[in-house]
Amino acid sequence: MQPDRIAIEELVYRSCLALDEKDFKAYLDLCDEGFRYTIAAHSPEIRKDMIWLDHDKTGLQLLFTNLPRHISDHSPLTRHAIVYTVEYALEQKQANVVSALQVFKTSLDGGATELFAVGRYLDTVKIDGGPPRLLKRVVKLDTRQFGFGYHIPF
Amino acid sequence: MSRNAAQWLQQPKLPRSHFVDSRIYTDDTIFREEQEKIFNKSWVIACHESEIPSAFDYRTFHHPGGTPLIVVRGDDLQVRSFYNVCPHRGNTLLYDPVGNAKRITCIFHSWSFDTKGNCIDITREEQGFQKRFCKADAGLREVRTEIGFGGFLWVNLDDSACTLKEYIGDALNMLEDYMSMPLEVFHYHRAIVNTNYKLWHDTNSEFYHDYMHYFNRVTGMLQPGYFERKYTGYPNGHASVGSMTIRYDAYEGGKERGVGWPGLAPGGWILIDIFPAMTYNLRTSVLRMDTSIPLGPNKVLIEFRGLGLKSDTPEQRVERVRDHNTIWGPFGRNLHEDLLGVHGQGRAMHPGSEATWVLHGREENMTIHDEGGMRHFYAEWSRRMERQAYDPYAERQVSAVA
Repeated sequence: MQPDRIAIEELVYRSCLALDEKDFKAYLDLCDEGFRYTIAAHSPEIRKDMIWLDHDKTGLQLLFTNLPRHISDHSPLTRHAIVYTVEYALEQKQANVVSALQVFKTSLDGGATELFAVGRYLDTVKIDGGPPRLLKRVVKLDTRQFGFGYHIPF
Repeated sequence: MSRNAAQWLQQPKLPRSHFVDSRIYTDDTIFREEQEKIFNKSWVIACHESEIPSAFDYRTFHHPGGTPLIVVRGDDLQVRSFYNVCPHRGNTLLYDPVGNAKRITCIFHSWSFDTKGNCIDITREEQGFQKRFCKADAGLREVRTEIGFGGFLWVNLDDSACTLKEYIGDALNMLEDYMSMPLEVFHYHRAIVNTNYKLWHDTNSEFYHDYMHYFNRVTGMLQPGYFERKYTGYPNGHASVGSMTIRYDAYEGGKERGVGWPGLAPGGWILIDIFPAMTYNLRTSVLRMDTSIPLGPNKVLIEFRGLGLKSDTPEQRVERVRDHNTIWGPFGRNLHEDLLGVHGQGRAMHPGSEATWVLHGREENMTIHDEGGMRHFYAEWSRRMERQAYDPYAERQVSAVA
């Protein structure tokens, strides 16, 4: 039986909410044990695809452990995703989900909000009867210039 | 004890070479003069040869002096550079950052040029110009271009400048053996930060700020050999920092790096700053190249390139990419912190802020936390600018302190 698209959409949206809140445990709870997370971009300047971050679930957990030890800008990010397409691969008990992503940054000092990044989530979602879980997420970024940047993944 | 206004403005009790007036980072007059006296007369890196591998490949470049350039490989495979400006009505000739163009044709009135800079077509030439002006009068402005020191493409707007080899001198000797094989760019991104370009170069010229980097504290500062690394200054304002061994496994989740770099000791790290705004940074398995393009006194565009060996297997390349981006990618552990640091300087120092002095006063026998690398830079800066960095408008009663 084809799972409810709303449950898949909620998975994507909950992943945004968890990272917005820096609730890394909640984020990892949405991920399958075989989860792989990648941030990718294409550079027209050197005509190459680039992989900026690539972690399995354990690696991502370690990253989240280490991040508070680093100095970072404290301006919060707000991730806004909207699910465009859900394609089911029922034999594999998976769905391939494409979402548009916008990331906004709100300055702590004064609260001005600016668009920080745009791209897409290219997700593979496990649908094996229980709640859907993220099996793979590629954050394919169009934005490649972030000023002084940010530590926390999108 | 805090200080009152007079005390705050008082000259630091350090030798004049050990502090600068912050107006060198904020004044528009000084910035324009830097473009003219420094950037328009220095060799600067435009791109890497691997970015334009084939005949007719081109790369556009915003020269830090302000002039837009085209770097193009001709059908003879020679690389030449030209102003990216149509001699007709001043339009941009090539808009995309890269491409392949047998003819360079202006979109505005279709004047065309070949990759040697010859004008090869003026549309309706005779009807408009009769015999008063012709293609021979309309060639592109060629800029001196040399390939060297790791396969980078260097340009110099000054037709009478010394050669690239003379400009670099011995400054890159420490890296020479490691750049003898062909290299390839695998990473490119840029950041625009509201800060002065020299502050980014300063950050690349001092390691005292390792206190800002958790990663560097555990993998470097706490490891043997860290405090023995020495700065060496070279003519023309260049400076190097000697190697040490990084313990990547000291960072939780980190591990020693397998792919390495031919000839470089495992975990080795060599950094060389090239005046006025370039840094070679070979760290274990990756060569990082920073090139800064000042856009204003308080605005800099920094280009970040990551390079590996052209001969890399796909597996080796994956490792290099990971090694690079763990530390230096846009989501890496260190780069964001460095950028945040200079952003903070730019935020604090602006005309009227009375952030009057910036200190470069640490002396530790030119070892890693000595600020001699910056002092060496500002000595050259002062020479070229004919202004003293500690008193750029020659208006202060700055006294010498031994």
